[in-house]
Amino acid sequence: MSELDHKDKLANVLSASINRRGFMKLIGAGAGLAAGSGLMGGPLMQSAHAAAAPKKGGIIKLAWIDAVDTLDPHFTSSLGSVKILNNVFNGLLKVSYDGKKVSFVPDLAEKWEMPDDKTHVFKLRKGVKFHNGDPCDAAAVKWSLERVKDPAVGSPHAWKFETLAGIDIVDDTTIRMRFSKPYAFLPVALTGSTGRAGTIVSKRAVEQYGKAFGRNPVGTGPFKFAGWRENESITLERNPDYFEPGLPYLDGVQILLIKEPTAAVAAMMAGQVDGMSLSPFQFIPQLKSNPNLKVYGEVEGNYSFVGMNNRRAPFDDPMLRKAVAFAIDRQAIVKQGYFGEAIPAYGPISPPMNGFYDPNMAKTGRGQFLDLKKAMEYRKRSKYQGELNPVYIVSQGFTGSGGSGTRNSQLILPMLEKIGIKPKIELLDRAVWTKRRNGGDFDMYDEAWIADLDPDETIYPEWHSGKPWNFVGYSNPEFDKLISDAQDTLNQATRKKLYDKAEDILMADAPLAVLAHMKVFKILGKRVQGFQYIPVDLMNLHSVWLS
Amino acid sequence: MLYSATTKLLQTLLVLLIVSVASFAFLKLAPGDPVSIMLGSDYSKESYDQLSSELGLNQPVFIQYGKWLADFVRGDWGTSYITNQNIFELTVMQALPVTLTLALLSLLVALLVGIPTGVMAAIYRNTWVDVAATSLAIGGNAFPSFYLGIILIWVFGVDLGWFPVLGFVAPWEDFRQGLWHLALPAITLGAWYVGLVARITRSSLLEVLGQPYILAAKARGEPAWRVVWVHGMRNVLMPLVTVIGLQLGGMLRGAVMTEVVFALPGLGMMITTAVLNREYIVVQAGIMLTGLLFVTVNLAVDQTYQFLDPRLRRR
Repeated sequence: MSELDHKDKLANVLSASINRRGFMKLIGAGAGLAAGSGLMGGPLMQSAHAAAAPKKGGIIKLAWIDAVDTLDPHFTSSLGSVKILNNVFNGLLKVSYDGKKVSFVPDLAEKWEMPDDKTHVFKLRKGVKFHNGDPCDAAAVKWSLERVKDPAVGSPHAWKFETLAGIDIVDDTTIRMRFSKPYAFLPVALTGSTGRAGTIVSKRAVEQYGKAFGRNPVGTGPFKFAGWRENESITLERNPDYFEPGLPYLDGVQILLIKEPTAAVAAMMAGQVDGMSLSPFQFIPQLKSNPNLKVYGEVEGNYSFVGMNNRRAPFDDPMLRKAVAFAIDRQAIVKQGYFGEAIPAYGPISPPMNGFYDPNMAKTGRGQFLDLKKAMEYRKRSKYQGELNPVYIVSQGFTGSGGSGTRNSQLILPMLEKIGIKPKIELLDRAVWTKRRNGGDFDMYDEAWIADLDPDETIYPEWHSGKPWNFVGYSNPEFDKLISDAQDTLNQATRKKLYDKAEDILMADAPLAVLAHMKVFKILGKRVQGFQYIPVDLMNLHSVWLS
Repeated sequence: MLYSATTKLLQTLLVLLIVSVASFAFLKLAPGDPVSIMLGSDYSKESYDQLSSELGLNQPVFIQYGKWLADFVRGDWGTSYITNQNIFELTVMQALPVTLTLALLSLLVALLVGIPTGVMAAIYRNTWVDVAATSLAIGGNAFPSFYLGIILIWVFGVDLGWFPVLGFVAPWEDFRQGLWHLALPAITLGAWYVGLVARITRSSLLEVLGQPYILAAKARGEPAWRVVWVHGMRNVLMPLVTVIGLQLGGMLRGAVMTEVVFALPGLGMMITTAVLNREYIVVQAGIMLTGLLFVTVNLAVDQTYQFLDPRLRRR
């Protein structure tokens, strides 16, 4: 197979998310075009800055209502952290958005080639330095990627490099990653944002700080970590040696850690902060009506759902699970649970996954949708007759359960009563909820998977037999095979077919009842300019300036 | 005097010991555990067991307690699992000053508003002034602090734009900015005590104003303000000190809500975060510190009595 064939294959993989000609440019098929920094996201930056010339200086003040656990990218499980990390670190690749499609573009990598379908060669940017002055070269990148994979390190993202057979240093700025089989998910895994596994960290800093690295992060990003006052604020300052010329514009970032969203919204309305990392749905109409604010938000790669415990009665019976899935009125959930800021979900694959998402799922009879007659039929055919009282665990709080766990459960309750199921809702704090979910101690639980970029991310670790987030204990060998095959296939059309079939099986077996695909919001004040919204719950500040 | 001080000290230590045992037991009984939180969604039984043993959480509870107590008394309060920070520094150096400042300012608000209100109500007894003052007092008591906090934020922070609605500036670093930032939280927390102080002041003053020595002072032709503020108030101070002293512990409880609403990095916020993370070791330190504050305040109130009422000094 010629080199170009492989590139073509990879281009196909990514065509879900990137315009093909653009992609060929990016991987350097035309040698003159792939000349590093000027190329990446070039047109996007120009359009963003066309209005006025960016001004240097100033400190942006942001209210952060989502939890920040650690600033070690290889360990965090919180998007509240990822949004900060993305300003301190870089990945080999990053996520870009042109207003229509999400794409993966080189970040620390300058060029990306595939000599064959299991080998990926990355040419790195020259002269990039970590915040502590160490060079970010091939050796540093190799060390960082191997840190994620090393079982002794215990990164929760290690699974993303399960099939990584080895990394070779070709020269100072070139590394070769060898995989045991073709790996369609790799582009996502290598992003420094939601993928996290491809985020490059400083070896010396990790060794120096040990477990405290998460409170003293050292990366290559546009901002350097400057301080963390517990329960109060995190501060970042400009990295004068940042590799994108002229960036960042801001002198620094002050992140105020807020527990009470109402207070953050008030500060936003009063103009006392410049932005909010996220906002609960109920405040959106109010924020939108304020002329001094800009509200960014689109339906992102996510889905909320009710999981049902396949391991024990009564939801070990697929008929009963199907009855639940068809009894739920998703329009009502969108309207009342999400204040209209969402769309109904008929399957787990979401709209931004272009080429995989099927908006007509309900019309064509695929997927799950409200059909009370069907629900009643399934209920009649179920093993368990009479009134049922499953335990429905719900977690309080905005970020938990996709933000609407308590509201959703209260909406779902009367819907299920119509088919003779009266769940007992148990409202738990997040720690207890997590423990019970992980331990399978529930009949139903409410959750959302968010910031996903690829069907693999949204399906594989969640619903494949025995995988880490398959808390309901779902197992179907045919489904497992389909999604494993999809992972090893680089051809887009074949992948689409495999996921369609897998999705049909999953929705028919109904280990979960899907609910909605939600919008995710960023609120910024009028004086904040140059912000590039990316619909994977990111808050990149490198191009932001204050007027 | 020495005897009574020693007895007090022993009593105090006993109280703290009971607090430590009770809080340790309650924490252990609380569902949810730190290991699963720290490991996130994806972990194996091996990594769970390994982390448990690293944290010493697989040992019997009384051994964990004993070890914790021994370390605590020696001043080694341990390191937070989550933040890797020294817990003594986290609680005593960082969080405590914030909470103490908030409590003191709230007390100031309570006294500055509550005493005049109570006095007015007593002097103009059964008039509209009394009704207004009493309503204010009851209102202050009835409003939950998180609700009042949010109302104040919207009215004075958002609509009028007079005060910052969140964030903390240490008054010892920037006095004016600090006070400005703490004004709304202090009013929120102080509101409850305004009611309390006003009610105590009113009822005690009414009692005092009927006494013969007040009549005597009036008969001597002393001005009304002197009669009330000098002769009357001296005798109102005792019940006021008692009640405020007893309620200062409760103020720490109110501080939790206030700190969360206004995003102030005090003890209340720290304990809340630690409870949510099931960080036993931090919660424990927070509770001990709170207990210590509580008994210290009680001791201080005792001493204040002796200062205010010379008769108590003779024993």
